[in-house]
Amino acid sequence: MARPAELKIAPGDIVLTGPKASQRLLVLDYASQKVVGDVTQKAKFSSSVPSTVEVDPSGVVRAKSDGEAIITATVGKDQATMRVKAEKTGADFDWNFRNHVVPVLTKLGCNSGACHGALAGKGGFKLSLRGYAPGDDHFVLTRQANGRRINPLEPARSLMLMKPSLALAHGGGLKLEVNSPEYKLIADWIVSGAPGPSKGDTTIQKLEVFPPEAVLRPKDQLQVIVRAWYSDGHAEDVTRWARFASTEDLVAGIDDSGAVTVGGSGEAAISVAFANLVATARIAVPYANPMDEKVYSASPRHNFIDNLVLKKLEALRIPPSPQCGDREFIRRAYLDAAGILPTPEEVEAFLNDARADKRARLIDSLLKRPEYVDYWAYKWSDLLLISSRKLSAPAMRAFYSFVRQSVADDKRWNQFARDILTATGSNLANGASNYFVLHKEITDLTESTAITFMGTSITCARCHNHPLEKWTQDQYWGMANLFSQVAIKNGERPGEITVQSLSAGDVLHPRRGVPVPPAPLDGKAATDSADRRAFFVNWLTAPENAFFAKAAANRVWRNFLGRGLVEAEDDLRQTNPPSNEELLDALARDFVAHGYDVKHLTRTIMNSAAYQRSSISLAGNKADDRFYSRYLVRRLPAEVVLDAYSSVTKVPTSFTKVNVGTSGGEAGTGDYPLGTRALQLPDTQLISQFLDAFGRPERGQTCSCERQSESSVTQALHLNNGQTLNDKLRDKKSRIEEWLKEKVNDEEALRRIFALALCRAPTTDEQSRFLGIMAEAARDPQTTRREVLEDLFWAVLTGREFLFNR
Amino acid sequence: MLRLDANRSVRFCDGLTRRDFLHAGAISTLGLTLPGFFAEKAAGQTGDRDVNCIMLFLVGGPSHIDTWDPKPDAPAEVRGPFRPLATNVPGMQISNIFPRMARHADKYSLIRTVYHTATAVHDTGHQMMQTGRLFTGGIEHPHVGCVLGYVRGQRGEVPAHVLLPRPIGRTGGNLPHGHTAGYLGRQHDPFILNADPAVPNFQVPDLLPPSYISSVRADRRQRLRDAVDGAMASFENSQQARQLDGSFHLAYRLMSSPQAREAFALDRDPARTRDRYGRTRFGQSCLLARRLIERGVRFVTVNMFETVFDEVTWDIHGSRPFTDIAQMSREVVPNFDQAFTALIEDLSDRGLLQNTIVTAMGEFGRTPKINPAGGRDHHPGAWTILMGGGPIRGGRVVGETDELGYRPKSRPVTTAEVAATLFHGLGLDTHRELPGPQNRPIPLVDFGVQPIRELF
Repeated sequence: MARPAELKIAPGDIVLTGPKASQRLLVLDYASQKVVGDVTQKAKFSSSVPSTVEVDPSGVVRAKSDGEAIITATVGKDQATMRVKAEKTGADFDWNFRNHVVPVLTKLGCNSGACHGALAGKGGFKLSLRGYAPGDDHFVLTRQANGRRINPLEPARSLMLMKPSLALAHGGGLKLEVNSPEYKLIADWIVSGAPGPSKGDTTIQKLEVFPPEAVLRPKDQLQVIVRAWYSDGHAEDVTRWARFASTEDLVAGIDDSGAVTVGGSGEAAISVAFANLVATARIAVPYANPMDEKVYSASPRHNFIDNLVLKKLEALRIPPSPQCGDREFIRRAYLDAAGILPTPEEVEAFLNDARADKRARLIDSLLKRPEYVDYWAYKWSDLLLISSRKLSAPAMRAFYSFVRQSVADDKRWNQFARDILTATGSNLANGASNYFVLHKEITDLTESTAITFMGTSITCARCHNHPLEKWTQDQYWGMANLFSQVAIKNGERPGEITVQSLSAGDVLHPRRGVPVPPAPLDGKAATDSADRRAFFVNWLTAPENAFFAKAAANRVWRNFLGRGLVEAEDDLRQTNPPSNEELLDALARDFVAHGYDVKHLTRTIMNSAAYQRSSISLAGNKADDRFYSRYLVRRLPAEVVLDAYSSVTKVPTSFTKVNVGTSGGEAGTGDYPLGTRALQLPDTQLISQFLDAFGRPERGQTCSCERQSESSVTQALHLNNGQTLNDKLRDKKSRIEEWLKEKVNDEEALRRIFALALCRAPTTDEQSRFLGIMAEAARDPQTTRREVLEDLFWAVLTGREFLFNR
Repeated sequence: MLRLDANRSVRFCDGLTRRDFLHAGAISTLGLTLPGFFAEKAAGQTGDRDVNCIMLFLVGGPSHIDTWDPKPDAPAEVRGPFRPLATNVPGMQISNIFPRMARHADKYSLIRTVYHTATAVHDTGHQMMQTGRLFTGGIEHPHVGCVLGYVRGQRGEVPAHVLLPRPIGRTGGNLPHGHTAGYLGRQHDPFILNADPAVPNFQVPDLLPPSYISSVRADRRQRLRDAVDGAMASFENSQQARQLDGSFHLAYRLMSSPQAREAFALDRDPARTRDRYGRTRFGQSCLLARRLIERGVRFVTVNMFETVFDEVTWDIHGSRPFTDIAQMSREVVPNFDQAFTALIEDLSDRGLLQNTIVTAMGEFGRTPKINPAGGRDHHPGAWTILMGGGPIRGGRVVGETDELGYRPKSRPVTTAEVAATLFHGLGLDTHRELPGPQNRPIPLVDFGVQPIRELF
């Protein structure tokens, strides 16, 4: 390539602290301030003062004596330099149990869930999972098994070294080569008296990854290095003991040593874990599309969303599909915002509207419709698990009414959260109180609150430090303690439960047996005696909260774009970064700036050119399903399909049976008059073979995974041979009956059903195929006219174009 | 020859239109009968020597002491009303309420020391026995049969894993029971019968078109459905759309495949065969399981009961809504004795037992000491399961419980080891990793869990 190399050495100027300090260096090639290659292996290294700082041919610097040196890396004609200062090279040095030994055990996998980190340990030897309890681990290693695990006089005779190096039989196989750096580190630590963790230990403060981002090409290789910063201000190279994972192995795979190999185009996040911290590096691999920059400047931009989507597409050289047509847009918008099909009249009116801003007007009118309230009340009821499975029927209704009214009133999302999380009183009078009735156990309450309002799971941290996040077990129990003063008791009426916030009571940390100060994860602890839940909500809904606005924005975004910026939509965590971080940040900021107005957020998303793109892929964006270069087609939710069947056939669904109690069984119900739509049901316990087959969530646990959008053979058999659709088609009051009376001919019937179900006219080819098959049927003496129409409806209503939004 | 509208006339030999469903099952034109086709397969001529499995799930949890781990020397309040009976395997004794099983003990082995330490509710045991794991952290693990289907795919026109007759319903714990594909995704769920094969006009719900949809009509519907393709370009790169089309395709194959329809046509077995299994829901489910295995299904799960409430089951607490010991021995035991024996005999006669594992298991044992209501309560400390067929040897007894049947005295067997034994017997590498939630790799069984070697 003609571009001149622009070399820099990572991590840049550093200080090596202590007699054993070393640092692996990278020589990185830059273009336009971005890392575009790793040329370390081609580099020759030299030190200006080798007696102070020595550098080996692979690019590792080691402190020899206090002082400073300049390191030079030479690649062909190009050079780069960095300054290294060595200090405390004469100081006493012992490997530290907490900061060195435990990370080594973690890297080797000794304390993983499959080995000694299992709840019951392995082979009578139990360590804390990934070292979350160093004090316990030290006791186990130095005191248990008659002290045979370490032998200070003859370190090589310590079980801790003999078993993993296979000097003695080891169920886990070879984990530690004799005389490897890890082996020596453990041996040195044993020789130094196997000191345990102490209060005076420095603690790790942050992780730094180099390079934090890079733009690479397929087959490129890149080494990642990791530095840990400690509370005394010094930093160490911990690359060797960090654990690595890639979010997209097919784009950029990474091995145990931190070596990245690029596979294909796209973007991958490399997550790096060390001690209980995680950090990420991003690897972008642009597609090989020859792209003209004008494609992006000419692509429509309706608001800030489009700037950020196009910025990402341009960086990855993915072409955006053009905007969709008006017919696609109106069907898409109705289904995504309100779960209904537009009527043929509405479609025609929209097509005939000549105003330039007609899409924005359509969006505004949709957001005022009662079906919008149905749809979003249903969606938030999924999120809040409203059902008569665990709630009495009146309580279920009260909770649903609260949600429905909140949507109807455009209640701001922060107020909605506050009303729920600080609810008190009778669950029948204040429906929101049922949140605490559903989540009676404090662990369930804590974890469900995190998923519901922060879109993040902290469940792992209940028992040990979270392996994929920075959350510690202490932080979990601190957060749990915010909910320790919630009390519920039976009320006077049947099904009534009252929720109170007491002024005392703590939950104990299960391992340490003491209460942890009530604090929301990494927030400050509550100090006064007021309702701790209010303290939590203040933290949660503060504009600077890292989760609250993003979680809501991501959920709403996913509803419209088919894929969350973070996917799954409730899996926000550092090691699962958004596909477009700037965009999620901007959406969240805009949401906060507009007072947590969900309708504003919805309107912003629906008005973006990104939402209004065609679903037809271009040659260059076929492979992209996460940067919003086209509208992602997706199957409609179960309830939407069922309601659409009712509206197209004009035969409503009857909901007359409900599952009762935990012992099983069903009962009749007259609560839902004929004409009630599936999306208007407050409860998921209504019996419906169709809704179950198509993946209605049970509302049993807070998880977006409850709703299933996969297709199954059971669904297909049900549509073919089952009653739901066939009965609607055969009903004597159906639309088909009207058309028979009207003597609608084949061509007209075809035109009408396409308009009703697909919002478009049949193509010439479709028309000739349909009319041919229908004419053939008409000649068959066994086939009635009604059957021909039924079959026509069936064919259109079971095809992917109908069942999908596109 | 067969016809789709088979509920009226099953055999059919007139001139059929080109469009009839018969074409979907091309093997019939080769002049082979279906069992013949599979016998050839079993003999290795088609290179498919995979092992199948029938899992009989004894919902409720049989009392080990009253069934397959008798304690004749224990005090009366433990020993219970039954006596041990010698079997055709020297030294192997079972309770005398299983006279038929006693004559076939060479075809199955007893594992007497299965135990678990989770909460003693039905649901946890269902999870652990069907998946090998207790569900924690919101992760639902896949049923052994779903894993097999995921790894091997379906064979011919029939589903890989069929669940008869219905999934386990509520059993008190309100937890998932482990009959699904869990994190593997709904497309790997078992095909669920949802009907009682013992009723007179038994049919698979939705498998056959209703009477008003003739084969001509069904065919017309498919052709009309295929004609909607004006927006095809939108779906070209959609995995979901391919899955939808795939499901419709499979459903159509299933409903129009003579092989599949034949497999479910219980009335094709002569009346004496049907009688041999017993004309009960469980008996006819076992017969249906044999038919399905014979026609290519890889794994069949048969739930003996759907719930433990208001039904005579293995859940012998002694008082209503549960069952007492006498009721169990009068109704449940003969039902099982007859169906189980008929199944292993029939499979053996047809040469299918050599490549079909048959296992019968409950979710826990029952308390050795009889309670004041004359029943026994939940006891996950030790219980007995049955396993035979395929590579599993018969006539063995694994493990021994203590004198009163409280705990394993030797060779305790975890539920994970039971799953490992099934995986191993089915020819799957137990270290194989499955794509778990968030693509976390999850091995079939945890590191270090071994199959029960004594059974191979």
